[in-house]
Amino acid sequence: MRNTLAIAGKEIRVYFTTATSYVVLGSFALIIAYFFQALVGEFQRAIAQSLQMNASWMLEQLNLTDYVIYPLIMNIGVILIFFTPIITMRLLAEEKRAKTLELLMTAPVRPIEIVLGKYLAGLTMMLAMLGVTLLFPIVVEVLGASQTGSPLDWRSVGVGYFGAALLGAAFVAIGLFTSSLTDNPVIAALLGFLILLMFYIVGSGASGSEGLWKSLLEFLSLASNLTSFARGVLRVPSLVYYLSLSVFALFLTYRVVEAQRWR
Amino acid sequence: MIKTVGLTKTYGDLDAIRDVSFEVAKGKIVGFLGPNGAGKSTTMKILTGFLPATRGSATVAGFDVFDDPMEVKRRVGYLPETPPVYPDLTVHEYLRFVGKLKGLRGDKLASDIERVVNKLALAEVVDRLIRNISKGYQQRTGFAQALLGNPEVLILDEPTVGMDPRQIGEVRGVIKELAGEHTVLLSTHILSEVVATCERVVIINKGTIIADDSLDALATKHGGGRDQLEKIFLNLTEA
Repeated sequence: MRNTLAIAGKEIRVYFTTATSYVVLGSFALIIAYFFQALVGEFQRAIAQSLQMNASWMLEQLNLTDYVIYPLIMNIGVILIFFTPIITMRLLAEEKRAKTLELLMTAPVRPIEIVLGKYLAGLTMMLAMLGVTLLFPIVVEVLGASQTGSPLDWRSVGVGYFGAALLGAAFVAIGLFTSSLTDNPVIAALLGFLILLMFYIVGSGASGSEGLWKSLLEFLSLASNLTSFARGVLRVPSLVYYLSLSVFALFLTYRVVEAQRWR
Repeated sequence: MIKTVGLTKTYGDLDAIRDVSFEVAKGKIVGFLGPNGAGKSTTMKILTGFLPATRGSATVAGFDVFDDPMEVKRRVGYLPETPPVYPDLTVHEYLRFVGKLKGLRGDKLASDIERVVNKLALAEVVDRLIRNISKGYQQRTGFAQALLGNPEVLILDEPTVGMDPRQIGEVRGVIKELAGEHTVLLSTHILSEVVATCERVVIINKGTIIADDSLDALATKHGGGRDQLEKIFLNLTEA
């Protein structure tokens, strides 16, 4: 446990002493900000339209939680496909490239502690990225407040972010796994990106199919499992899905690192 | 303290090392000499538990390297051929990190870092990023890391590579001081390094051991004085 924390601590230090993490955090926030303003714009147009049509039943349906925060969280899930490999690519591949893995593997540290330490660091970075995007619901809360109370259903927002964090945890585990396969961080990033993209594409395949196949594809899809969370519903199968995906990817990573001893 | 029996490492059809057997007694400094690519680093990687052997066995400090890797790792300080340093950490941050991995905490960690920093004369660069210090200092930082936790066995793979003559002299001094309390296996392709620091030498060439003797005995056996050692070494490794 202490070794895990030492390794995570070192990795987090490297994240925040190099410019990479700030560039990643900044550009991630910028892209999400772009989606956010587009969604708010659409919301305003929808309100203007229903006022014009005098459709009060439509106005009642329109709320910021469903029309801005829900799609925002879904967008975050998609953008993380591109950003996660950038934050995980160095974790193990760089240690191999710089031959510092030799230090970790000859220190009195178990392979599982190395894997968990690296994972913890990647997870911290992931939570920092999600934390930055919390700015947008806060903006909505502050600027959208009225006499009738908060413009947002914060319980729903909380569940949505919890889902995004679970998805992030699975993404980081997959990224860490690809980082364990090569001594080239760029290849690790590309490989991670491909795998995450595949999990995403599987979901869009589901809409065109039916029966068992459809449910299987939906079950595997990273996006469709995020949907219920983003809508504010905590679905246990989705929770289990993300957690088991994380554990499975971590187990594979552990096997790769441990295999060093047998090669 | 270090013992290998019939150690063999095969990569595909290629034997990196073949039937390597030797011993290093407690408190001794033994030179592991051979031309580049002779199998020195491979042997050392097996001894530190980084690589498994294809055949044969190795024990360090009484523990089998393959069966009890954690016990071995707790007792060995290792400087690989490429100093395993992180360019984005300062020397101090780096030593703290390695010290923690070796189980040092609190005051013990702080005092041990101070000890190795002084021993390798790193005080000047201790707060600088490793990427910004010279190759010689990086090498010394790698060496300092190996000394953390005061391990009984030290395995040093070409410890003076990349240093200027003055630094080489200082580091050789540090290695000599280790004798008695520590057991040291030191690899090098430079004979004068062995002459300056070791009493005994194991010579390896093309993966097999071709000599294992004290320097004096080696010189006598091949009919010369200590000044003839360079010629003897070149003759031995020519084949």
